[in-house]
Amino acid sequence: MKRKMSKAQKDEAKWAYLFVTPTILGLLILNFYPIFNTIYQSFFKTGDFGRGNIFNGVANYTKLMSDGAIWQAFWNTIKYAIIEVPFGVVIALILAVFLNKKLAGTSVYRTIFFLPMVCAPAAVAMVWKWLYNTQFGLINNIFHTKIEWISNPSIAWISIGIIGVWSIIGYNMVLFISGLQEIPGDYYEAAMIDGATGIKQFFYITIPLLSPTTFFIVQTRLIGALTVFDLMFMVMDKTNRALNKVQSVVYLFYQYSFTNGDKGTGAALVVMLLIFIMILTVILQQIEKKYVYHN
Amino acid sequence: MKMRKITALLLASTMVVGGCSIVSAEDGGFSASELQVNIWDNNQLAGLQEIADAWTETSGVKVNINVVTWDNYWTLLEAGASGGEMPDVFWMHSNVAQMYMENDLLLNLDEYIENDDAIDLANYYEGIVDLYTRADNGVHYAIPKDHDTIALLYNKAIFDKYGVEYPTDDWTWEDLYEAAKAITEAGADDGVYGMAMNTSNNQDGWYNIVYDYGAEVITEDHKGTTIGSDEGKAGMEMVRKILTVSAPQTVVAETGTDSLFQSGLTAMITQGSWMINSFYTSANAADYAWAMLPYADANGNGSCDEGERQSAYNGLGWAAAYNTEDPDAAYSLISFFCSEEGQKMQSELGVTMAGMKDASEAFTNAFDGMDVSAFTRIEEEGTLYFRPYTRNTTVWEDALQQAGGFLDPWQNPEDADLMATACDNAQKIIEDAIAAE
Repeated sequence: MKRKMSKAQKDEAKWAYLFVTPTILGLLILNFYPIFNTIYQSFFKTGDFGRGNIFNGVANYTKLMSDGAIWQAFWNTIKYAIIEVPFGVVIALILAVFLNKKLAGTSVYRTIFFLPMVCAPAAVAMVWKWLYNTQFGLINNIFHTKIEWISNPSIAWISIGIIGVWSIIGYNMVLFISGLQEIPGDYYEAAMIDGATGIKQFFYITIPLLSPTTFFIVQTRLIGALTVFDLMFMVMDKTNRALNKVQSVVYLFYQYSFTNGDKGTGAALVVMLLIFIMILTVILQQIEKKYVYHN
Repeated sequence: MKMRKITALLLASTMVVGGCSIVSAEDGGFSASELQVNIWDNNQLAGLQEIADAWTETSGVKVNINVVTWDNYWTLLEAGASGGEMPDVFWMHSNVAQMYMENDLLLNLDEYIENDDAIDLANYYEGIVDLYTRADNGVHYAIPKDHDTIALLYNKAIFDKYGVEYPTDDWTWEDLYEAAKAITEAGADDGVYGMAMNTSNNQDGWYNIVYDYGAEVITEDHKGTTIGSDEGKAGMEMVRKILTVSAPQTVVAETGTDSLFQSGLTAMITQGSWMINSFYTSANAADYAWAMLPYADANGNGSCDEGERQSAYNGLGWAAAYNTEDPDAAYSLISFFCSEEGQKMQSELGVTMAGMKDASEAFTNAFDGMDVSAFTRIEEEGTLYFRPYTRNTTVWEDALQQAGGFLDPWQNPEDADLMATACDNAQKIIEDAIAAE
């Protein structure tokens, strides 16, 4: 049943539109225009400085498909996500549960765990680069090892993943804490009266009731992890032999678009990444309907 | 609440004041009050600012020099060029100059140069002038700022410690190999290496050896390469031999050759003249000394003949944006930087050697207590070849440094076949890249 808006309602709606206009404009200009322009560019052999583009159909895509480097880059990116997302979520959740208790010094710990979020990613990467240094790094010197943390192709991806986890824990933790505080205390009281232990409370009350927060974090972090760039770019030298086994899709995009000046191929690559992330998001939404608990 | 009002008022007033300054200040008859200048080398900032300030005194136009790191410099400039928002005056480099000139993104300087008594292009290094001249119409888009050459940098303390003779001007690459071998073997327990060279040390490293043996990374017409020829392979074989007694590639990739040297962990590296300042100001500078690049006795007669000792040279150019608000002011600044006065100041201040011929003498004296004459001596006693470039240099230059290029033999220098194969691959990489330009 549709009802006509009264004059007052219409007036109100006008104001509402007026107020959201800046945001909408920002989205259109800064997000939507670039997205469609990128899709458009991906069908062209781009000229220098955005001039003289020549249409070449799906040639950029077929070129990419036959290039082994991009499949390796997709695999590298997925491997990074496999480390960053689960570990980042689980560790953050455990920390959040502990720091949600009324103990002395919780705010100090919260600050400490959140600090990596406040640091410039480039600075974080530089520090880790030296920690990992095979010859002079602190890690190898403390443990008297000679492990090539970032040069050995079979472990470099894990080393990079660890930096990712370390950087994101604080952020995830803060989100979890806010989620925990929304869980009514009565549930825990009732559980205690029924004789449930702390562990049981955690698994039967905390985890189910926290699932909307968990899902939100998993989804946003997954997208974040799949678009990772700065860690590889800052930590790995261009001449690092493990680079091929670590470079992410966005790193390769940077290589194509900005180092080699081939914007068309770069655009095609990010469009492929976009499609991949879209498919993943649809799957995640299905999972949400099935498993996430809503009041 | 009151606080907020005051802040808002302050902000508003700064906007008004800022707006005003755009119209004021017209000492030199220029409409601009400030020029934005972009460079990528922090070592040169102080010296260049001093020269720019000298220009400001007569022109009344302030010069604001921004340093952007090498990698970001080009990303930023390209984005700016695509969007029409470039700095007024900036450095041009051989890697991409052709692309910028062909797209008319740089200010055409011909008319200005013609009417300017301070600039006569015949006084500059030809290779650099050519580089910034468009081939099809002969228009000049930049004036040479400087030129650079390569020398061998060594740490006297390390040579003393292991009782090895210092490098001399008579050294061949074989002699360098022997010395590096002696130091690497003796220094194994201390983690000290005789030499360090990465795949990315091209202009300042292995390119020079390739040219000494008679091959060219990029031929003079910029349309091909002879890296896969017998001469090219002979040069890279020498490189391979040196690598067997140098710091392993993983070490140089993680730590960097410069850091290794400054930490006293390698006795020798090769470096360009643009880096002098960073070694001159380093903590152990008293131990550092420069020698001429060794030569290759390619014909085996025991002396250094024509073409057997080569150094890459390159030169930056001062260019202006095609759409700079005040082209007269922009050119006037460029003209001052490149005039005899500006060039000599640049040498005296030890910023770099001059782009103008015979204006670099002061440079060798600019570093008290450090003899840097190796950089100028090689111009007389050796051969200079222009740094290899094509229309889109980075494509093949990067590919050569990575897996599939020279990274593989660098990983495993004991294997001679690997290096020969890499030369063939390099030949193909460069030819394919040029074909795609």
